[in-house]
Amino acid sequence: MSYQVLARKWRPKRFADLVGQEHVVRALANALKSERLHHAYLLTGTRGVGKTTIARILAKSLNCEAGIGAEPCGVCQACQQIDAGRFVDLLEIDAASNTGIDNIREVLENAQYAPSLGRYKVYIIDEVHMLSKSAFNAMLKTLEEPPAHVKFILATTDPQKVPVTVLSRCLQFSLRNMTPQQVATHLAHVLEAEGVCYEPAALTLLGRAASGSMRDALSLLDQAIAYGVGEVAEDGVRAMLGAVDRRYLFSLLAALAEGDGARLMAEADALAERGVGFESALSELSLLLHQVALAQTVPAAIAPDDPERDALFALAAGMAPEDVQLYYQIAIHGKADIGLAPDEHAGFSMTLLRMLAFHPVEGGYSAPPAGGGRPAAPSIPAAGGHEPARAMHDGEGHAGAKALIARISGRPAAGESAATPPEAASENSEPEPASASAEGAPGAVDMASQPLRAASVTLSASPASDVVPPWVEEPSLAEEAVSHGEGRKVAAGAPTPLSTAEPDSEAVVANVDEAVFDGDWNGWVARLSGRMGTARMLAQNAALRSWDGQRLELSVSEAFRHLASRDYQEKLRAVIRECFGPGLELSVRVENSAEETPAMRDARVRQKHLAQAKESLENDPVVQLMVREFNATLLPDTIQPVQE
Amino acid sequence: MLYPWQTDDWARLNLERERLPNAWLLTGPDGIGKGRFARHLAMSLLCDAPGAGYHPCGRCEACHWFEAGSHPDFRLLAPPVDDEGEGGKTGRKLAQIKVDAVREVIDFAHLTAHRGRGRVVLVEPAESLNPAAANALLKILEEPPADVLFLLLADAPQRLLPTIKSRCRPFQLSRPDRETALAWLAEQGIENAQVEYVYHGEVPLFEHDPALVSVRREFIDGLAAPGFDTVNRLAELVEKHKLPLTRPVQWLQKWLLDLAGLRLAGHIRYHPQRRAALEALAGRADLDALMRCQTALTGIAPYGQHPLNVKLQVEALLMDYLSVFIPARPAATR
Repeated sequence: MSYQVLARKWRPKRFADLVGQEHVVRALANALKSERLHHAYLLTGTRGVGKTTIARILAKSLNCEAGIGAEPCGVCQACQQIDAGRFVDLLEIDAASNTGIDNIREVLENAQYAPSLGRYKVYIIDEVHMLSKSAFNAMLKTLEEPPAHVKFILATTDPQKVPVTVLSRCLQFSLRNMTPQQVATHLAHVLEAEGVCYEPAALTLLGRAASGSMRDALSLLDQAIAYGVGEVAEDGVRAMLGAVDRRYLFSLLAALAEGDGARLMAEADALAERGVGFESALSELSLLLHQVALAQTVPAAIAPDDPERDALFALAAGMAPEDVQLYYQIAIHGKADIGLAPDEHAGFSMTLLRMLAFHPVEGGYSAPPAGGGRPAAPSIPAAGGHEPARAMHDGEGHAGAKALIARISGRPAAGESAATPPEAASENSEPEPASASAEGAPGAVDMASQPLRAASVTLSASPASDVVPPWVEEPSLAEEAVSHGEGRKVAAGAPTPLSTAEPDSEAVVANVDEAVFDGDWNGWVARLSGRMGTARMLAQNAALRSWDGQRLELSVSEAFRHLASRDYQEKLRAVIRECFGPGLELSVRVENSAEETPAMRDARVRQKHLAQAKESLENDPVVQLMVREFNATLLPDTIQPVQE
Repeated sequence: MLYPWQTDDWARLNLERERLPNAWLLTGPDGIGKGRFARHLAMSLLCDAPGAGYHPCGRCEACHWFEAGSHPDFRLLAPPVDDEGEGGKTGRKLAQIKVDAVREVIDFAHLTAHRGRGRVVLVEPAESLNPAAANALLKILEEPPADVLFLLLADAPQRLLPTIKSRCRPFQLSRPDRETALAWLAEQGIENAQVEYVYHGEVPLFEHDPALVSVRREFIDGLAAPGFDTVNRLAELVEKHKLPLTRPVQWLQKWLLDLAGLRLAGHIRYHPQRRAALEALAGRADLDALMRCQTALTGIAPYGQHPLNVKLQVEALLMDYLSVFIPARPAATR
């Protein structure tokens, strides 16, 4: 095992050997020359850019027997011992495994003693971000005013984890990432010295794959030499890097843009065969989506010499911007969830399917309801966001606002104020949603509920307004008017609402007694549901199969088999005979049918009401005013449509 | 011994022997035998007289020690195993490699080798290093004392610290192709090898328990015929066999993936033998509800080994699943 990896073998021994980092080297060299040395340095930068290397060279420069200078001789005893890692006055501390305060205390206790061989005692504290809080604090005093013979050099990849008190005591140098060109040039230099033949294009590839880190590049180079059996060829390197090639992403996105599910899945399978990690594929995908979004909104941001520019713009032209946003969101979420899927492949394909499922053009599938899977849907109003702003632009909203302020302050409203609410409500053709919005408002507008209620009471009591706003109307009346088919004359004639559970039920029965069952099962059940008692369960979940004037045939789905029992049937029969005369026959069978049962209808209607209630609340000028003036928040979850 | 599909990888690795790295990062999906490959490699590195193709001889003292798990120059850095008997396996899966274990390994690396053929440290899996432990490993990983070699195993190398990855030489292990894997599975005497192989994401190594397979089959039969009665039946089934929550969750996850896959892309991954049932269901599935159900599954997945009331959880999940097929049901607020 005598081979030493390139990254270690080629660790620079002199400032002159360093690649890049001229800004740091120059500052240090000048400081060394004029001996204006700070007592604590902090070196930061990503992995493999030269933090530890610079720290060691600096230690050599300080202790070289030839004198302090930017060019340590490299031959004296001190230099050689430092290179070999056994110089007594250089203490290289791995802060990541010695994190505690005791470790640091031990180190600092020795700081007061003079160096035994060298000029300075140099402490290199590597991975300093891992020190515990107390260890950092224990260092502070010594770090600020160390003995004259002590120099600290701290190195870390994560300077934001280092307390400010430490940062302020150090002279900080941040090392830059290597450019691909710098890496490629250095690799060529290494290969020439090692006597390995290479193709320059291969080095360019490696340079890009290293993403700014020289150690990554040298590790990859080691691997490439082994892979290519002693030579570094472009094909070999390309095959070795594999995943860096982004072509598969473009075909993936193209399939997505066309909504071609089969191709999408085939691409995902191809990924598995090529050994590309699915999690990194998702990050790459979100990166590419970001670039597509850039190409759509700020085309100038894409570099003109980007090799993928054409493909990128082709994709950008083929996708709607909102789709790109949606896919991006789903990709980000999918990345977080991938560890929770049964395997990575499953997590990846589920994410792709999700994108497909919420693709607006997917067969007959419209946008999901608000709060569903579409994260970027703008339907949820942000408090103090664009909603109030739009109202201001209307101009009409302005007048409404004035009127509202007047109303809230308790005065009877002027004509225009009375005119506004019905107009807002009249967008909805049926009266139900209006009542729903009225009922929903106090419950939903959380913080502002009290003033709002007060406001509507004031309004309803005010004699000045001729037009009665819809929400003052008795909600049950509105309900009745719609659902009460032939009984409309009652509702219209008398202002008192015809309630279903009135004590004078005989009158009502008499009223409907003459009626002949007209085949509208759902309507009938809705009308009589209040008086059916236990039979209601069966009636609610049954669908009408046939009706021939004498015989009523109902069907009950498999899931409600227990409702088809004799007991329930008897009770329902009694109710039906009471209504339509004693001659009627009733039969119930269990089968799955596509017919809508009253229960399903209720659910559907309720859903619709909820949507309308939500919409009318969001558009309601009072609510908008609350949001604007008092910073109120509409809690969409708490909205309830009015129910009987 | 190596698995039959690993011979090519082994030959590929042998090319790199002249240029041994400080640390190898062996990557590849779960269930392709990374652990066995790494142990084989470690054994061959420690063997006194490796045979042709660097395979360990299996006869020398070092090999015997290694096989007995007592080679003094080998260290395994793995999450500690719980001693709580039955809960042991669950505990191990969630546990992390702590910094103390890493410190112990650092001390080990600084001592000289016992037998003079170098030392090997196996980190399995590297993702389970907690942040402090991973950082503590950095310095030793970069410049280990002479003759120390680290082997790191990772299913998901992108989850490792970039500073760790940058210090290791990656080596990707390949997944066996279909024929090799099926042939091997048949050799192991696993019935229904093909179905099982496909069901486990096309990797050859999976936990095989015939009893569990029959429970799974019953569970999926139930999923194929959703109804209120099945919810109860399946929840009781899971309860009766005292399964941890992850099992039904994974079964349901795979089933949903196939439903969505069939509906949107005509693609079935895990249940190809149940195409007819899936087709019947996919037609009437509500995609929105399906995705909601899937989100619920993802939400519960991290708690798969927790002592939750499994029956209640399964019932709740199955109710979500049921809502996929009931079109007019009001949106569940979960």
